[in-house]
Amino acid sequence: MNAAASKQRKIIHIDADSFYASVEIRDDPSIAELPIAVGGSAEHRGVIATSNYLARKYGVRSAMASSRAMQLCPDLQIIKPRFDVYRSVSQEFHRIFGDYTDLIEPLSLDEAYLDVSDCQSCRGSATLIGEEIRQRIHLETGITVSAGIAPNKFLAKVASDWNKPNGSFTVAPADIADFVVTLPVGKINGVGKVTAKKLKKLGAETCGQLQKVPLEDLQRQFGKYGRRLSELAHGIDDRPVRASRLRKSISVEHTYSDDLIDEVQVLNAIGDILQELKTRFTRITDQYQPTKRFVKIKFANFNQTTMEELIPGNPADWLDQAAYMRLISSAWQRGAMPVRLLGAGLRLNPKESSDQSAQKDLFS
Amino acid sequence: MKFVISRDALLKPLSLVSGVVERRQTLPILSNVLVVLDGQSLSLTGTDLEVELVGRTIVEAGAEPGETTLPARKFLDICKSLPEGSDIKLEIDEGKAVVRSGRSRFTLSTLPARDFPSVEESQSSSEFVVKQGELKRLIDRTSFAMAQQDVRYYLNGMLWELSKDVFRVVATDGHRLAMCSLETNIDVSEPTQVILPRKGVTELARLLQAEDEEIKVVIGSNHLRATMSDYTFTSKLVDGKFPEYSRVLPKSSDKIVVGSRDELRQAFARTAILSNEKYRGIRLVLSDESLQILANNPEQEEAEEVVSVDYAGDSLEVGFNVSYLLDVLSVISGDTVKLSLSDPNSSALLEEAEDGDSLYVVMPMRL
Repeated sequence: MNAAASKQRKIIHIDADSFYASVEIRDDPSIAELPIAVGGSAEHRGVIATSNYLARKYGVRSAMASSRAMQLCPDLQIIKPRFDVYRSVSQEFHRIFGDYTDLIEPLSLDEAYLDVSDCQSCRGSATLIGEEIRQRIHLETGITVSAGIAPNKFLAKVASDWNKPNGSFTVAPADIADFVVTLPVGKINGVGKVTAKKLKKLGAETCGQLQKVPLEDLQRQFGKYGRRLSELAHGIDDRPVRASRLRKSISVEHTYSDDLIDEVQVLNAIGDILQELKTRFTRITDQYQPTKRFVKIKFANFNQTTMEELIPGNPADWLDQAAYMRLISSAWQRGAMPVRLLGAGLRLNPKESSDQSAQKDLFS
Repeated sequence: MKFVISRDALLKPLSLVSGVVERRQTLPILSNVLVVLDGQSLSLTGTDLEVELVGRTIVEAGAEPGETTLPARKFLDICKSLPEGSDIKLEIDEGKAVVRSGRSRFTLSTLPARDFPSVEESQSSSEFVVKQGELKRLIDRTSFAMAQQDVRYYLNGMLWELSKDVFRVVATDGHRLAMCSLETNIDVSEPTQVILPRKGVTELARLLQAEDEEIKVVIGSNHLRATMSDYTFTSKLVDGKFPEYSRVLPKSSDKIVVGSRDELRQAFARTAILSNEKYRGIRLVLSDESLQILANNPEQEEAEEVVSVDYAGDSLEVGFNVSYLLDVLSVISGDTVKLSLSDPNSSALLEEAEDGDSLYVVMPMRL
């Protein structure tokens, strides 16, 4: 056991409470007592990005179609998002995080992991650091955030959800074993409905039960992910907090206010999407290299399908409209019905990934 | 089985043997240590099916022989936390192991010794004897360059090559290579190459504590066994072909630079602070009598160092991963280091300026 591996880490997961909605309420307190959501309007087939806790009581959730949300909560006020404001609030968060550590891994504008293992503030108590960060954010930005404090990312993320909103929770190293026993497997990152169902068949609805499933069974069923599942079930997660996150893909999606009724309309629509994809990819083109093209179609019945292909030849020639049209066409055949959403994108590799390019190999 | 042993006689072999035991196991018995008492001689065995380690020690007179297996980690933690100088009494009672010391008493679960797996032996093909200190030097000088979890699995270990009177070890991760040779009395009909897995290398290195004592190494077709007075170490070998290392040793370097090892090491370490954290690239600019070292990072911060060196010839600009250079300068000794370069696309050779037994090859980076 080397020193680095055995050293106890202190990770804080910070997650703002219904971030976009909170910013809107901060800037217009008159709406504080109303059910509100930030997102696109129902008329334009918008989607809810965030809702406040009042709206959530009606069942309004993120990623829900705005029209559906209006059905659930007819008094819902849907506010158009102001991303510039959210971004500047997020920068305030990061300025505060920066007083405690350099190891900050942002997950989104309002969510980040901090590694405070080497932070001396608050006598090195991560729980107190988390509390101080929460108070300062509230004082300096008027937004409440929740914090989860634990020896690793997985537990920190679960913990930040524990006393939400405006709360914090600590999983101390000594408490891990007790904490995970009753934790539902659904809390594990990557365990969605399908995996949860498979795990249930193996008798594992909680992490405690998952611990008892033999590793061989997990590996047979889930391959590499099986070992990871077993580790997470034991509360083990060695993923480091990465100061800069790498993008894995870039994509542009468009939801049409009127369904595209046939293949011709679908194929005609792809041009605009590719134009926007080109604009967005140009900004990061010196950092990433495209490896695959992909398209996504959501049909009128909400079924969705995606297709992707390797980019043959020079990755710089990724923007091949004919190739995208072929992909879209085969994807459309799977449903062959009106389409409400079209998307196109690229899978990316970081460009100067030293192992492949910059660092030369001895044996080649 | 029943015996009494002083804590201090038990602790060292037990902790070394437990080191082999993996924390999480697929087979429950693999997290146990096998305890066998024969007369007064106690042997402890830990294994992960790839590496097996047997440690031997002596118990006090009046013991009753027997064998069992106990949870390694817990048994070790108990012994460790008992006071120095105390005696430990172990007794098997109805399938449980009872550990007593002073007024402490622990009951540990056991699993039957007959279920404990042993690493399969194979036909031995060659054997030799070296001093522990000599073998430790070979490992210490090269093990840092072994690959970790590389898909080229044969790089996740160390090449041991035996030829007439030369024992040579080589490690490489595909970007840099480390090699160290020992001239010793070896009698082999033809050169033998085997690859010791990474874990075997680290565990073996931990055992080599008695500089002047000898260690006998037996190499079989798929295992390697090293025997010392108190320990027997067995490791499976990696079944694969190690790359032809001699092919990548630079032979046509025309730019030979000699400089102070310590000055260079410190300059590299300072420059590294402002290199790209992930790729660790630095730029070397070589000209007459001077080596300039440059680094910058994505935040546009820059570091520059100039070190006086013994060099006359064409100038050269070449990039390297600074960690690879620092690894080498930290493991070699001597006041001066010799750096042989040719062009920005060819590898660099690093070695001690005089009478070195080690060679290091580092591939450049495109910057």
